[in-house]
Amino acid sequence: MEALRNAFDFSDSPRVDLVIAAMVAVALLLFPLFSPSSFAIATIIQFFIFALYGMGWNTIGGYGGQVDLGKAQYVGIGAYTTAVMLIRWDIPFWVSMPIGMFFSITWSFIIGYPLFRLKGHYFAIATIATSLVLKDLFEIWDFVGAARGLEISPIKYSPPDFLRLIFKQDIYYYYVIFGFFLLGILIINWFRRSRLGFQLRAIKDNEDVARSLGINVHLSKVKTYAIATAFVSMVGSFHACYIKNIEPEDTMSLDISILIALMAMLGGAGSLWGPIIGAGVLIPLKSYLKEWLGARGGLVGIDLIIYAAIIMVISAREPRGIWGIVERVRRRKRL
Amino acid sequence: MEILLSSLAAGLLIGMALALVALGLTIIFGVMDIVNFAHGEFLMIGMYTGLFTAQATGLDPLFTLPVAALVGFLLGGVCYYGFIRFLIRGPMVAQLLGTFGLMLFLRNLALLIFGSEDRALHHGLLVGRSIDVGMGVIIPATKLAAAVLAIFSFWAVWMLMNRTHVGKALTATALNPQGARYMGIPTEKMNALAWGIGGATVTIAGALLVNFWSVNPFVGLLFTMIAFTIVALGGFGSVRGAFFAALVVGLIMEFPGFWDFFSYTFDIQWMYDIPMTSFKYTWVYLAYFIIMVARPRGLFGWKH
Amino acid sequence: MRKKINFGFSMVILIVAAALIFPCHAMAAGEIKIGVIYPLTGGAAAAGRELKAGAELAAEIANSVMPDIDMTMAKKAGIQSLGGARIKLIFKDHEGNPTLGADLAKKLILDDKVDGILGCYFSSVTKTVSAVAEQYGIPMINGSSTSPGLTERGLKWFWRTTPHDKWFTKDLFELLKGLKEGKVKGVPAVPAGDLKSIASACEKTEWGSHVSGLIKDLAREYGYTVKKSLLYAAKSADLSSEVRSLKAARPDIMLFASYTSDAILMAKTMKAQKITAKIIWGQDAGFEKPEFRKTLGKDIEGILTRTVFLPKVVDLKPLAGQVNKLYKAKTGNDLGGASARAFTGLQTWVHILEKAGSTKPEDIQKVANAIEIPGKELVVPWAGIKFANPGNEMGQNILGSGLIGQYQVGPDGKIGLEIVYPFDVASANMIYPFKGY
Repeated sequence: MEALRNAFDFSDSPRVDLVIAAMVAVALLLFPLFSPSSFAIATIIQFFIFALYGMGWNTIGGYGGQVDLGKAQYVGIGAYTTAVMLIRWDIPFWVSMPIGMFFSITWSFIIGYPLFRLKGHYFAIATIATSLVLKDLFEIWDFVGAARGLEISPIKYSPPDFLRLIFKQDIYYYYVIFGFFLLGILIINWFRRSRLGFQLRAIKDNEDVARSLGINVHLSKVKTYAIATAFVSMVGSFHACYIKNIEPEDTMSLDISILIALMAMLGGAGSLWGPIIGAGVLIPLKSYLKEWLGARGGLVGIDLIIYAAIIMVISAREPRGIWGIVERVRRRKRL
Repeated sequence: MEILLSSLAAGLLIGMALALVALGLTIIFGVMDIVNFAHGEFLMIGMYTGLFTAQATGLDPLFTLPVAALVGFLLGGVCYYGFIRFLIRGPMVAQLLGTFGLMLFLRNLALLIFGSEDRALHHGLLVGRSIDVGMGVIIPATKLAAAVLAIFSFWAVWMLMNRTHVGKALTATALNPQGARYMGIPTEKMNALAWGIGGATVTIAGALLVNFWSVNPFVGLLFTMIAFTIVALGGFGSVRGAFFAALVVGLIMEFPGFWDFFSYTFDIQWMYDIPMTSFKYTWVYLAYFIIMVARPRGLFGWKH
Repeated sequence: MRKKINFGFSMVILIVAAALIFPCHAMAAGEIKIGVIYPLTGGAAAAGRELKAGAELAAEIANSVMPDIDMTMAKKAGIQSLGGARIKLIFKDHEGNPTLGADLAKKLILDDKVDGILGCYFSSVTKTVSAVAEQYGIPMINGSSTSPGLTERGLKWFWRTTPHDKWFTKDLFELLKGLKEGKVKGVPAVPAGDLKSIASACEKTEWGSHVSGLIKDLAREYGYTVKKSLLYAAKSADLSSEVRSLKAARPDIMLFASYTSDAILMAKTMKAQKITAKIIWGQDAGFEKPEFRKTLGKDIEGILTRTVFLPKVVDLKPLAGQVNKLYKAKTGNDLGGASARAFTGLQTWVHILEKAGSTKPEDIQKVANAIEIPGKELVVPWAGIKFANPGNEMGQNILGSGLIGQYQVGPDGKIGLEIVYPFDVASANMIYPFKGY
């Protein structure tokens, strides 16, 4: 009950934020009804997906300060669980998604215990390593289609199939992921006001002090890591149904992990709106730059060059990301 | 038996070249305590430099190493003065973010300029030649040359670090930047120098590798990971440790060969069917993970 | 001040919204738009250029009158039954990435409103793109992806003109059988004990992994032992441990399925490692690209590759010579397996559209299922084009056939492909065994 109240309690955000958030939410809700372009819808779906990944990353990476660069392995576990179960045993999405989350969390405990003995860069690189090891395993595992990947048959199901989440038009996917997105915001809002959230911030500020206060540092980290994992795995399951063709190279590549972390850090790690802003800025930027300069202008990679330049400037000037800039402006105004 | 010997030889040879790849990373880390995720991209630039200078002059990249070294030195210096200098003031998260940004930037710049094709050197003094040393061991001339030159470069840098005033100043900056500043060491310059040396060694390594390894804009990350593993194994910041660790990593990468040797020698049928070559880099990643968890100081580490 | 921030935020939102709403596209009358998805950048960019040139040449011939070419589509400009409408190709680059391919297909169908799709070379990309085409009910013709699985899925909007790997791999084993029976031109019968063991290395996505499986199956059927079968990433920068593993198996026959840059790397590494095998055979793709020949020169003498087209076909088919002349003028290269099949793929589109007289997907589907294009219309040495329907391999052309070529040094000192299989059209004596390095 308390958790529920916490989840819906946004009273510590300035009212203007909430007004803007509500306006954006309404705009997003209505957008597909007026949208002329499939490209725009696909871009916003990508935005939701990465905003959710970013929110998950933010729990451990932002509030906990543990930079995790291996999130793609959980995207993979979620996506593969859903795809394998659907293809082999015809188990619908709404059943396989929680099972995928369960697998992800189990795996996160297995690697999380040793992982969290490491700190800083060492931790970051170790998460990359685990993710790549898992990817290499999936690439030769015939049960999950090895490097060929798995295809959810385009003719076997009759869309719209709400149980299996097989649709023909993107608009259905849009609203499903929009629902997840709203739910995600509530969960993060709960998390940051929960006991665990406060413990984690204490750990980030000073681990020794946190330990002396009786916080089980290691366990708190592992628990939060599991929450982050569940988020990513859930969206991974959705991704499988949306893309309908998954393969290790695509779902579990390091690029996905990096993108997730970069968006969250760029938007502002450790804040509620940061990852959403990060994804909201970068995903449209990336797809439209790619479309306009890359595909039409013939400048391959220009999207990511601009993107990288922004990241470099932000990281050198304002390490707390875009949200850091917003807060700084606010503070100056108040003084 | 010949499988075993040829795998051993190949592992050691590639390990020597990899030592040079990791050297720059360990110097930068040792001096500044910052992890450069763009390290592999520096290598990629070195590979392109080697490739183009070789194609322009018609010589092997081995002869144009000074060009690659110069490019790397300038690249490192420019990156330091133009970017890293601002980063190190910030928290660790910003450093990670920043060097990742640098990585993406360099990688996609290469993509824009060179295109995503794989390019390789097909003609040269050594390309395609190999030496049959007997016992079934065939050593490609390019790899042998790369290994020899890598050792030489490694030795030169080691001398610089340990036998010269500049080297001592670098070490002092590494151990205690503030103290070094009080002693009149220009730490800012030392940091830039570390980046310059780091850049130069890794571009030299790139120019050596391109003799037998094809290059595309995405090749860097694999080497970043390998270099991290070597540096972790050797102990962060340890130059000598990096060398021996690189040999170990070279042998780890040749694991498929040892597997083949084992399966043929004892004629174990199920071992034939496991596609071990798909895992050649997996063992490297796994090694990093296990080493870090079991012995975070690495095998020869002095700083953590 | 607060207002200022508010204003800033709303501006950002407005700009983003504006950007999302205005990707414009134009429609032109009398045009039939075919979306063509090929790997124009990436490791197979060289193949992409050939494919693109092949498809473009076919479109040029269809859109203009070229009386000296003996093809129906060269006689009139445009599609007659659609009022002389011209074919317009919209090229997209999938970079070898299946997910990107699916995105592009969606964009082509929904935003560019194409009438049909041609592509995609990589079997893995063809798989995702054909799934999108199926979902939206847009016809797709595939000219050059050879994974057998593609036509085993029962798709109703997918047709493949090229024969697939089951036939090609079988051709190889027939060639081996022929070697032992003394049927091969210029080679006396080989003792059965000489050719027994096989080692294969295939790229690990859809295409290569299927080839690997086929080799295992057929080897069992024909009585060979597979000592080693490796899968590797086509993007690998180094294949030395793979090659050493192959070498350690000491096979008589080495089989490969590789795209362009990895095929070159593989051959180079084999040379450096002084590989010895009696037969080295590549499953098309990288092994028959002009780049492969140009970079490696005489080092590849004796290597076999399967293909559907090689310059010697010109001697058998005058039409191929006419088209080859145009292609050479356009690109400087001879037609190859990739370009000839891209050409044929688009040609099939033209014939179907001509017969359908409509761009409605249902009409196209009906015509495609019943179409019969005689072999004399084609540049490739096939009996024709006719799609299986219904059946296990719905949409598969059942009149195609393959060739096996061998790199040999010609009288002019240049290295080129000679036909060694089928035996009755062999253009030169086969070099056996492979001379080694």
